Amino acid sequence: MELKQSLGLIAPEILLSIASLVLLLVSAWAGDKASRAISVVACFVLGACFFIVAPTVCAGVAGPDVVAFNGLFTADAFSGFAKLLIFAATGAALVMAPKFFERTNSMMPEFPVLILLAALGMCLMVSATDLMTLYIGLELNSLASYVLAAFLRNDERSAEAGIKYFVLGALASGILLFGMSLTYGFTGSTDFGTVRAALTGDMSTGAMFAVVFVLAGLAFKISAVPFHMWTPDVYEGSPTPVTAFFATAPKVAAVSLLMRVSLDAFGMQADAWRQIVLFVALASIVVGALGAIGQSNIKRLMAFSSINNVGFILIGLVTGTVQGASAMLVYLAIYIAMTAGSFLAIIMMKDEAGAPVEKISDIAGLSRTKPALALCLAMMMFSLAGIPPLFGFWGKFVVFQAAVEANLVALAAIGIAASVIGAFYYLKIVKVMYFDEPADVVKGQSDWAHWALLIISTAFISPLGYLLTTWLGGIADKAAATLFLVAA
Amino acid sequence: MVDLTQYLPILIFLVIALGLSGLFVFLPMGVSRLTGAHKPSKDKLAEYECGFPAFEDSRHQFDVRFYLVAILFIIFDLEAAFLFPWAVSLDLTGWAGWITMMVFLGELLIGFAYAWKKGALEWE
Amino acid sequence: MQPSTRAPKWAKGLNYDRGEAVIGIEHYVVVSSILFVLGVLGIFLNRKNVIVILMAIELILLSVNLNFVAFSAFLNDLVGQVFAMFILTVAAGEAAIGLAILVIFFRDRGTIAVDDVNRMKG
Repeated sequence: MELKQSLGLIAPEILLSIASLVLLLVSAWAGDKASRAISVVACFVLGACFFIVAPTVCAGVAGPDVVAFNGLFTADAFSGFAKLLIFAATGAALVMAPKFFERTNSMMPEFPVLILLAALGMCLMVSATDLMTLYIGLELNSLASYVLAAFLRNDERSAEAGIKYFVLGALASGILLFGMSLTYGFTGSTDFGTVRAALTGDMSTGAMFAVVFVLAGLAFKISAVPFHMWTPDVYEGSPTPVTAFFATAPKVAAVSLLMRVSLDAFGMQADAWRQIVLFVALASIVVGALGAIGQSNIKRLMAFSSINNVGFILIGLVTGTVQGASAMLVYLAIYIAMTAGSFLAIIMMKDEAGAPVEKISDIAGLSRTKPALALCLAMMMFSLAGIPPLFGFWGKFVVFQAAVEANLVALAAIGIAASVIGAFYYLKIVKVMYFDEPADVVKGQSDWAHWALLIISTAFISPLGYLLTTWLGGIADKAAATLFLVAA
Repeated sequence: MVDLTQYLPILIFLVIALGLSGLFVFLPMGVSRLTGAHKPSKDKLAEYECGFPAFEDSRHQFDVRFYLVAILFIIFDLEAAFLFPWAVSLDLTGWAGWITMMVFLGELLIGFAYAWKKGALEWE
Repeated sequence: MQPSTRAPKWAKGLNYDRGEAVIGIEHYVVVSSILFVLGVLGIFLNRKNVIVILMAIELILLSVNLNFVAFSAFLNDLVGQVFAMFILTVAAGEAAIGLAILVIFFRDRGTIAVDDVNRMKG
């Protein structure tokens, strides 16, 4: 009986795994021409998962009823919220891909299969309440991602991105694993609840090392600052739809995982990890803002932008309150829309031969040749910079509000100051597009699906997004509350 | 004093091992001489070393196909490691454990079918 | 040579009073820490060959495995050994994917030297 209940709770994961296995066989037998059909099926599968998970988020489910497999897996509202974002971002990557790869005839049917497997891994990550589930989910996602980074087999930069991502990702997994082995040794369990109960009072040095190693490994995965060096190279070298995927879905998964690990498993030692997260958050904001200056490749710039945004998200974690966690979830939702939208606009910029345009100097004067595209990208940039009428401001606002209410006024002040520095390079792109002499490089028409998705995400981050604040804040509050309910 | 008698089983083991291995080496040689099948040729006398000449620069580049075989081998070899703990604990896990392992083996089989269909098992 | 009547004193480490050394949990942790550091250094100090990096990664994972198995024996808890099994198999998958990416890289560039992984500088 218990098993049946557990299997019911992992319904979206089961659907994803069966779908990816079936599609894998279809891809082997049907060959390259089936790529588009497989992508469409994969999108429908993600949509189905979305509708399976959505009711649990709206209902704010929590408690022992949603714990599957004796505590290995939890399908609460928090994981549901993260899963919805993951499905949306994954779907966006699937829509972006075919047109991009078809130009060089490199669209292979394995692409949607790998994306689905990565999504499955991320679902396990956000639902993990045991170190073992955490590890399996993380590796399932990482292994699929390494292959995706090297997906353009004949492109030197793609292969190099694959190697760099693989080596540093494997190192990160190793560091994380070492931390997990120490956690297991010093608490006697891999279950988050038991680990939490064992880590009360004064911590031994070994347990301290465990916390530090686990946090370092996870910081790698979210590309927070001392461990961010792989990000620009991997983002530049990977095929653009894959970069868009890396910048969105795995970020949500890894940040949610970090939230659950620090607030649940290490929740009784908040004072120990809070300083680390505080340092990482500030360093990420500053390095992300400063590193972006002087970049000439727009994908590298987006990499620094993602580092910068992760810093802002982590401010919510430093507070360690329900409000902070809720603010992180809201920020993640808005961040996904902004980043996916920016990458869509980048994919839609092609030169005469249809090759992707990545240099910032090449998009000079885009407002005169492609006014609609330039407007969308400019709105994305303003939103990423957090300039008020756009929705990106709201994400930063809720995070800073949570920080102020947790008596972290100084942190909020530094964050606001740094976001002003960060605004500089976003505005530079807008300046290049609107005020420089047209470089006249961007040509050609874009796919209707790209346009549709770009318009949806632009509408979401436009001031219209504020209509959603109550609703979004409501479900984020409920989701964040379940995280603390489990912990209590 | 060290009591050497407890090392007797090891001594017996060594004697039997030496005897058997000697038998395996010399018996075929003797039989082939007696039956007249003893015709040494260059290839027969060469050292066996996985399809390579045995003595040459060790910094020699391997054919990339060896790597492809290695990739497939390492996966299917190690995934089977799950079978051992499963087999010894089947009385505890029961039908649920059996079905779970069959699902896992089914997934491995799908991977195998994929590799086969993609031609990863062909040498040429 | 009579069998020991006492359980080994794991936590106390060396037990010299009976003239024998009992390997304690801290010895395992020290060995695995050394292996872990060697693996990390192998990644960063190695300037020759990407294959060596793959080996360093395996070294890291195996040091973690050693930790898990030692803790598992120490705690009398099977979870650590199950975890070690998972790490072993995932490490196999990781090595396979690393080799596959390396083969792609080699086909594009004709080299697997670490210093040649430099088309992008960041």
